[in-house]
Amino acid sequence: MNFLLEFYNYRILAEYIPQFYEGLCTTLKISFVALFGSLAIGTVFACLRLAPNPILWRLAASYVQAIRSTPLLVQIYIIYFALPEIPLLDRRLNELEGGILALALNAGAYMSEIIRAGIQSVARGQVEGAMSLGMTYIQRMRHVVLPQALARVVPPLLGQTAILIKDSSLVSFIGVSELFSAGVTVMTERLIPTEAFVTVALGYLVIYLVLLWASNWAQRRLAGP
Amino acid sequence: MSETILITAPLLMKGLWLTIKISMWTVALGSFLGFVIGLIRASRMKILKAALGVYIHCLRGTPFLVQLYLIYFVLPATGVEWLKFEAFPAAVIALSLYTSTYVSEIVRAGIEAVPKGQVEAARALGMSKWQTLGHVILPQALKLMIPPMTGVYVLIIKGTSVVSVIGITELLRAGEQAALRYPSELMTLYGLVALLYFVYCYPVLRLGRWAETKFGRIENSL
Repeated sequence: MNFLLEFYNYRILAEYIPQFYEGLCTTLKISFVALFGSLAIGTVFACLRLAPNPILWRLAASYVQAIRSTPLLVQIYIIYFALPEIPLLDRRLNELEGGILALALNAGAYMSEIIRAGIQSVARGQVEGAMSLGMTYIQRMRHVVLPQALARVVPPLLGQTAILIKDSSLVSFIGVSELFSAGVTVMTERLIPTEAFVTVALGYLVIYLVLLWASNWAQRRLAGP
Repeated sequence: MSETILITAPLLMKGLWLTIKISMWTVALGSFLGFVIGLIRASRMKILKAALGVYIHCLRGTPFLVQLYLIYFVLPATGVEWLKFEAFPAAVIALSLYTSTYVSEIVRAGIEAVPKGQVEAARALGMSKWQTLGHVILPQALKLMIPPMTGVYVLIIKGTSVVSVIGITELLRAGEQAALRYPSELMTLYGLVALLYFVYCYPVLRLGRWAETKFGRIENSL
């Protein structure tokens, strides 16, 4: 047992269980809110990207390209440090709101590409069938295309969710105390980097494995012909 | 505004140069490592394949930030002399390991996209395993790998922004330092940093799109 204590001092770590637990909860909370935001943004931009109006689809395409060619950390800094007061709130975004907004905007661009691929995978004949029934663009999307596309995109969306959760570690840079910053706290207070960061890594790994399992399950259940 | 840009330009350019240096090192090292792992993953070496599967999941399942800290702070704490890295090598090694997981899956998918019949035909003609790989599989697989590989290179460039945390003054940290000096021009400076990243990444993304129309894409990959 002494051998283990030298490499991984679980006794010191036990004092920090509340910090790690709170950090884990915050990470999950941030990711959960950002996930819903990104799905909404992704769906809207995927539909815009496929719209016949050139202004609309060019706008959506530039958004996706701008997000994809800049680092998330820069996006977080711009939203948190550089955004002025928000008129409706009468104040600037706090670190939690800024972090969530940046994560949602970032993941939304990637989600929109996945959803767009899903929409385009729906056979052309089905859209033409819906058109010949006199359905409008909105109706075709709502009743024919999106239900089929969503079933096909669930596994890659879960993969993107795993990336979103990992990326949420970057909001610790603007002072949100989540799972990663719990590790930083342990390192700075006790100077035990091994225990601090191996524990953090294990925490993220567990979340990832759960999502991996869910993705495989969804792939089996939703697999098309 | 233009005055601030002029004054901070040398600092930002130095940062950009370091970003380019880190990303180029990582492209070379990460691609090589990923290529070797991908070859093994596509081979029939069962135990090694399974071990590398665990390696890939471990690296994919944790944030890059955590991996960077593990390599920069935890490895030196083990006391082994050659595991004590300076910031720059630590950044390149961490980014390369992270990159290798993506590259290896692309290489594996590219190799598996070549029809089995061709391999069997080559073997029937008396070609050795390595000849089959070099003359039949790779010439076709490499072309298929180019489009997804550009995506990985963009990932690397963006990943370099995270290494600012261990004290490397690359583009983002240079921007932070400039912003500390001119707090009133925060939006301009961070906008400029974002623009520089965009200028570096966007051509690579375009190249990927061009390669995809030219060489086609691997079905069901990634």
